[in-house]
Amino acid sequence: MAPDATHVVIAHDGDIVEARRKGRELAQRIGFSGSDLTLIATAISEIARNIVVYADRGEISLSEADNGGRRGIIVVARDEGPGIPDIERAMRDGYSTGNSLGLGLPGARRLMDDFEIMSTVGQGTTVTMRKWKR
Amino acid sequence: MAIPILKQGDVLIASLQADPTDNDLILLKDELADRIGRLRSIGVVIDVSGLDVMDSFATRTLRGIAHTTRLRGADTVIVGIQPEVAFSMVQLGLTLDGIATALDLEEGRARLQRRADDEASRGT
Amino acid sequence: MLDQQSLSRSSQFSLSDADIERRKIIVDLTARDISRITALKDIVTQEGERYTEDFFRYLRDLGEAPGLFARRDAFAEAKRRKREHLTAITNAIYDHAYAEQRIALALLYSRYGLETRAFLGAFDHLLGLVGDDIMKRSSEGADVAFRQFMSLKKIVFFDIAIMVDVLMSERERTISQQQDAIRELSTPVLQVRDGLLILPIIGMIDSQRAKQLTDDLLRAIRANRARMVVMDITGVAAVDSKVANHLIQTIAAARLMGSTVIITGLSADVAQALVALGVDLGKITTTGDLQGGLDEAERLLGYRVIREGPGQRLSA
Repeated sequence: MAPDATHVVIAHDGDIVEARRKGRELAQRIGFSGSDLTLIATAISEIARNIVVYADRGEISLSEADNGGRRGIIVVARDEGPGIPDIERAMRDGYSTGNSLGLGLPGARRLMDDFEIMSTVGQGTTVTMRKWKR
Repeated sequence: MAIPILKQGDVLIASLQADPTDNDLILLKDELADRIGRLRSIGVVIDVSGLDVMDSFATRTLRGIAHTTRLRGADTVIVGIQPEVAFSMVQLGLTLDGIATALDLEEGRARLQRRADDEASRGT
Repeated sequence: MLDQQSLSRSSQFSLSDADIERRKIIVDLTARDISRITALKDIVTQEGERYTEDFFRYLRDLGEAPGLFARRDAFAEAKRRKREHLTAITNAIYDHAYAEQRIALALLYSRYGLETRAFLGAFDHLLGLVGDDIMKRSSEGADVAFRQFMSLKKIVFFDIAIMVDVLMSERERTISQQQDAIRELSTPVLQVRDGLLILPIIGMIDSQRAKQLTDDLLRAIRANRARMVVMDITGVAAVDSKVANHLIQTIAAARLMGSTVIITGLSADVAQALVALGVDLGKITTTGDLQGGLDEAERLLGYRVIREGPGQRLSA
């Protein structure tokens, strides 16, 4: 349940820019530092790109989070694409070579504080990421 | 919106401003490939100081540009990656390995010049 | 004058309405409790002044929070707020404003160094005073008086929970700020020559410090237009694969900004251990010691240091 969420439809690459712009705006309103804004925008960009490349179409919701005193941002990326058959492999961390599958998921995880991914082959994928203001 | 390419001496300079679309980047690649071939340039400086996000697509495109440039006997230097952007890229595993980087336009041009001088003195 | 706005702005502590409701459920505050508490209004209003004085006298006698008692305005502020607290309890409107009141007083306590254990001790003492009065004054017998006291205790625990959370949160914030300050002090970036920086690192490197280091270094590279950085890790306490990966990441980020990093002070033993752990040291250029690293960096930048003579002796 997200209070006042901003939704961005992701259907082509121009929407990637839109998603990260909106994400940056919201993060700025929440009060994140300059470098955190870049991290958040980059993570959103990667996740949005995944939707465009692998699922054709999806949606990203951006909202503010509150966990009893700390403010943060929640990003939920949903698509009804082919799904990821081997999530573990997709999430495997490779520091020096990056993720060879090119999904940018481990990288996005490193940029954010909380990261959850649910995917069912043939149904779609949902990625939920959160970052908290220090 | 097309990305402008300037010619300064024997160097081509392309400055990316905030949020280029994927298409902008592809057009840039094609345009640079064309011009490098026609003009006798020692190289290309791509200024990304206006970018607040460098994601996997942008990085792949830059790599493609560097590759094409090299095939035509010239060098590419990427300049102006900001600290936060550099940090994010490393977190995402985007390294631009094998492609020269420099702090800014001035450093970038100096770098291209040094490379060209080195090659000249080696008689290549 | 320490107003509520400035106090709550100085901290990031705030409670959502959902959180407040949850806290009421946790102490099991019912409508019946609230009607019992309201029945105590007279006692609390009449004795409120005495309760407040006694609360602070108790702390003072224990020698706690001397900072609070040394400042006349702060002390007056605290007493005023405490008095308001007591009144608000029996007004029985436990909403956002009520919670903010508690938070504001807790922030004041925190600012003047009142420790949690002292706060609880004084509060317990206060509760004892109120309990005595309730028992003494009850016209409806001990049973009813006891129930009134137990209902009051619920809202008191509600209050304490909020205030202790604030005290703890503030304490964490202070510690975090101190750690930041230490980190800044322990990572100087020195410019040696045009385009050359030295970064001597001393102590333990955890994830947060590594991020700070990277931030500081990248900004310094930009500010000093450094093409070379010599990072000396002789003084780094424990170099494990995690630390090595942090260093590799820092080097990669610096390279993206056009700067080459040379690591010095990495002993052969540690290097071997890292390789055995699967760390790819190929990305790191290393030389034995700091001097060697400096020489190499200067050479790569095109400097040549020539000694022209024995030099001058500085007078003692």
